[in-house]
Amino acid sequence: MKRKIGNVLVVGAGIAGIRSALDLAETGYGVVLIDKAEHSGGVLSQLDHQFPTNHCGMCRMLPLVERDAGGQFCLRKGLFHDNIEILLGTRVTAVAGEPGRFAVSLRTRPTWVDPQRCTGCGACAPVCPVEVPDAFNAGLGLRRAIYLPVPHQVPNAYTIDPAACTRCGACVSACPCGAVTLSTAERKDFRILVVDDEAIVRQSLQSWLEDEGYAVDSAASGPAALEALEKAEYQLMLSDIKMAGMDGVELLRQARALRPDLAVVLMTAYATVETAVAAMKIGALDYLVKPFDPDTLVPMVTRVHEERLAARDRQVEVGAIVLAGGTDYFDPRQQEVNPYGYGRIPAVVTSLEFERIVSGSGPSAGRLVRPHDGRPVRKIAWLQCVGSRDIQCGADFCSSICCMYAVKEAMLAQERGGGDVAATIFYMDMRCFGKSFQRYRDRAEDQGVRFERGRIHSVIPAADSGDPTLRFVGLDGSVRDETFDLVVLALGQRPARGAAELAQMAELPLNPWGFPATSPLSAVRTERPGIVIGGAFAGLRDIGESVILASAASTEAARVLHGAGKSLAAAENEATAFRDVSRQPPRVLVAVCTCGSRILPPGDRTRWVDRLKRDPAVQETIFIDRICTAEGWQALADAISAHPPNRVLIGACHPYVFTRRLRELGRLTRLHPALMDVVDLLGPRMAAAGEGAEAAHDPDSLPRHLAMALARLQKTCRLELEAMPVRRQALVVGGGIAGMTAALAIADCGYPVDLVEAGDRLGGNLPWIGRTLEGHDLLALLQDTAARVGRHPKITVHADTRVRGAFGQAGQFYSTLENTGGVVQTLEHGVVVLATGGGEAATSAYGFGSHPAIFTQKGFQEAWAEGRLDPGALNTVVMIQCVGSREAPRNFCSRVCCPTAIKQALALKQQNPEVAVVVLYRDLMTCGFAETWFTRARRAGIVFVAYGLDDKPKVDAAGPEQPVTVTVTDPVLGRPLTVTADALVLATGIAPGLPADLAAAYGATLDQDGFLAEAESKWRPVDSLAEGVFACGLALGPRNVEESIATAAAAAQRALRILERERLPAAHLTAVVRHGLCARCGRCIEVCPYEARRLDEDLDRILVNPARCQGCGACEAICPNGAAVLNGLGMAQIFGMLDQALA
Amino acid sequence: MSAFEPTIIAFVCNWCTYTGADLAGTSRQTYPLNVRLIRVMCTGMVDPQYVLKALLEGADGILVSGCHPGDCHYINGNYKARRRIKLLKTLLPQFGFAPQRLRLTWIGASDGIEFARVMRELVEQVRALGPSEAGAKMVI
Repeated sequence: MKRKIGNVLVVGAGIAGIRSALDLAETGYGVVLIDKAEHSGGVLSQLDHQFPTNHCGMCRMLPLVERDAGGQFCLRKGLFHDNIEILLGTRVTAVAGEPGRFAVSLRTRPTWVDPQRCTGCGACAPVCPVEVPDAFNAGLGLRRAIYLPVPHQVPNAYTIDPAACTRCGACVSACPCGAVTLSTAERKDFRILVVDDEAIVRQSLQSWLEDEGYAVDSAASGPAALEALEKAEYQLMLSDIKMAGMDGVELLRQARALRPDLAVVLMTAYATVETAVAAMKIGALDYLVKPFDPDTLVPMVTRVHEERLAARDRQVEVGAIVLAGGTDYFDPRQQEVNPYGYGRIPAVVTSLEFERIVSGSGPSAGRLVRPHDGRPVRKIAWLQCVGSRDIQCGADFCSSICCMYAVKEAMLAQERGGGDVAATIFYMDMRCFGKSFQRYRDRAEDQGVRFERGRIHSVIPAADSGDPTLRFVGLDGSVRDETFDLVVLALGQRPARGAAELAQMAELPLNPWGFPATSPLSAVRTERPGIVIGGAFAGLRDIGESVILASAASTEAARVLHGAGKSLAAAENEATAFRDVSRQPPRVLVAVCTCGSRILPPGDRTRWVDRLKRDPAVQETIFIDRICTAEGWQALADAISAHPPNRVLIGACHPYVFTRRLRELGRLTRLHPALMDVVDLLGPRMAAAGEGAEAAHDPDSLPRHLAMALARLQKTCRLELEAMPVRRQALVVGGGIAGMTAALAIADCGYPVDLVEAGDRLGGNLPWIGRTLEGHDLLALLQDTAARVGRHPKITVHADTRVRGAFGQAGQFYSTLENTGGVVQTLEHGVVVLATGGGEAATSAYGFGSHPAIFTQKGFQEAWAEGRLDPGALNTVVMIQCVGSREAPRNFCSRVCCPTAIKQALALKQQNPEVAVVVLYRDLMTCGFAETWFTRARRAGIVFVAYGLDDKPKVDAAGPEQPVTVTVTDPVLGRPLTVTADALVLATGIAPGLPADLAAAYGATLDQDGFLAEAESKWRPVDSLAEGVFACGLALGPRNVEESIATAAAAAQRALRILERERLPAAHLTAVVRHGLCARCGRCIEVCPYEARRLDEDLDRILVNPARCQGCGACEAICPNGAAVLNGLGMAQIFGMLDQALA
Repeated sequence: MSAFEPTIIAFVCNWCTYTGADLAGTSRQTYPLNVRLIRVMCTGMVDPQYVLKALLEGADGILVSGCHPGDCHYINGNYKARRRIKLLKTLLPQFGFAPQRLRLTWIGASDGIEFARVMRELVEQVRALGPSEAGAKMVI
């Protein structure tokens, strides 16, 4: 495979950044993945449970095709891929250049702990005298100033929080590896010039800073300061603003001219803060407001010092930049009034804190107890829309994620409490707007979660217990007080910290809600070509949507690289010619890292050698101190070169961190990395450390670990599995906006695409929709897109054509097309994108069809567009939402109908301000920024009346001549409300148009509503379970135009991953068949979850498709004859390990 | 040797329980050394023969542990394990082993504390059962 034909910078290593990085890495690009935090995984590193499974499943994002390029490990542990370089604690400091060739400056914060030396033993933390709130546990519990950012991640090097650290040096002496450097000696070299016309200020600053070890001089005026600057080099100048003669700003200007590298911090009285802020534009780093004390001054100076001195700056050249910085959460303390008492009432917690409470790695190890007093929780309330849908706190948007995570948390609470927990969700609208969300919510209700409509005014502590008490007005008007053990605030999203700065650096505007803005009708493209936004960085997405947007962003990045001629092509890696050792008896080199003497006390060496020598396969056992260092690794490489073994077993620490190094070692020594293994000896040593002295020194424990790994390794062979060839062209079925977008994205990256459309023209639903809620013109979009499709040399459009049949698998499909003229042709293609769209669902409810004034949303829009309807002549329009939606059998939300109703209502009002519009709804689904238009609609006087499933509106339309009357119970008045409507508009939702037999022909399946069943709703949202088959647009699920376009780009990315390869390589851990033993019973075919096996009738053999097989080993377990073998971890190997384990 | 120290073989899946075990180690959750981990890709690949072989070779207790239901990396491997282990438990007495010697659990990647707890609990349970019935009685 061609490799590294361009580099991309992905900013943010949360779920979207990981998805984007993996996408690009799998497509063969080099990726630099950075995150400002000290860990990857973003907020997901703190979340153990995601709906709908209420578990994790993140690992399903790992590469399926070239599995060996990435580590086959839990993704929460960390991301490992050959093509991805990860820089943590790193941020962008400057962006220059143009698409295809950006120069980005990065700055990595020092951690003061050498990750090469730190083994994560944890000896340092207990001796640290500082305790600060533990951010990983959302502030529940404390951590030390030297800490593990995320306990489960590797490499698990400790890091020092410079803001909390007192530099006492306790950790330096406690570290057995000498990994911590906390010298204050270099402070002497950091020279500070204090400029102030008041002697008292000069003297105090000088003494405070000299106490901290800095070298400080002072000057009494601007000219004196300039003189000092000319004479000697200073790193930092602290200058007063208001000084006689030359003021601080002028001094700043002249000083910067003299010494451009000088950092300047201005000191200002409150009155001149504005001047100080203005001065930052001409190069001041920061300012301090007088009066200030050492606690303010010293940390700031330390920060400047550390950033200056120890930060490693680096510039990367990349072709494109993906910004995937995620979002932050609303801080309930920020509110001017804090009505819910967060921070005052201890039993009021945030949703993130609750996630930590129920996490197995949280402060209470997953037990549902109150964080402050440890009391078991029996009664919990969730308050929705905290920091969302609230104009008072500047959030005229819906955060989109809180309803679903609250439902999930309520279910988790009930699960944890063993049926003994009463969970109540107080909400305004339950926005379960995704494909499976409504059913999930209903499941919660069936399990006893109580849903109470209404916004809670405030939370007060109960007089006796201090427990949080809510006072709320029920829909019937009664005032009720209810006390809970725990109140959880469902916090909304906010722009990520630093998002505005990053946007400014990248010259991107912000949208009206403060998030970085994307281009109209694109959720990923920005004003600046080559810089794209992935995930929730541009606002308000859940995991599934973030993953889709991340893939869509990768597509755009790949497009830029392709357009730039893949200009940053790195040298192609020569395929290594590995030694063929298949006919040799195993000769294993065992290399044990002694890790100081932490793994292996020196006295034990002989015993280990003797134990290992019992196995004749061991050629040699060597001991290396710190194999992870460059010298250690070289010693290993030398040992391999001296007497080439045909297996290498390394006893060290985390196998994860060696994945890439083993591959390098393989290239160096020409021994295939599959024939090398790393066994973790440090983990068991550490786990045993608390087991008492006797057990900790069980001298056989670690040699046994090695012997078990040895048993496995010596029976491991490397199979030359045939790689599947790829037919490098794509078929896209459906010519709506999704299909066209996917086709263009694939074709723009250089692969031929056949675009099949059943109708006579392209465009799908765009013509009738006309424009979006935001007012973007969809007809212009259609014209432009169709024209680009039409003139694209790589796209062949087959109009009036249907796919009649298909077979094949990823890399090689055969599809038969038939047009309306009866002409049949067969296409070969490597991937297929199903973009068959959907339409408005049919209905017969509410008298539809019996009266000319009763429309569906589409019918209403068309009648209006065609002039059959005059808005000026209408007095009253009633809209009924959720017609046949969100109840059996179509129990899902179509998510576009509420925004469409608001769009139509606002347009009516615009054309005829006198018209009365009444919208009857169940839960109004204006998610994300669409909420703003809901606010506008209410301001415009549009009336919204909620109705319940048990009390639906009644429509009376006696005959075409009679007026239509709609009766609904007004929940506030509690009385029926009758409206005579000139037009009744029914929102019937979306019906998918994906034929089951078409999906089945490609091996994909439909869900119960007729949309494509995705492989995984969060982690693989556009893939079907059959590799090589993707879906986008309405075929996948209800979505608006912008979201459909994003799914199309995401599907294209998933397709490009395969098309970029000439062959689909097999991974080392792949099932094989011993045909001589096979009875062709076919049980392995049934049991394979990936449909990787089939019976070839001609050969009379079971064949495994190595590109599909994921190496789970289910076939080996089921095979009665031992004919199915998981190469690398078969029965022979497990038996060998058992022998050693029990020896 | 003061007390009987049982030997436990734990077949743990690569994705969840192995990660949980690893977390137990890195977060200083101690668990008894009697447990010998065998990392498999998925609990769905644990052949009943592995369990029987381990018991016959002298293991006193067997743990099979994987991802929570619905959470399997390989879609449904843990369900396969669940069916298989249930069946195997009914068969163990025919081999002369107490079915309590075999246990199936779900331990997720962040459940390091849970992993250590299950291990301690299992060791105590098996200790109470006494040494394995294998050995002199059985000829393979």
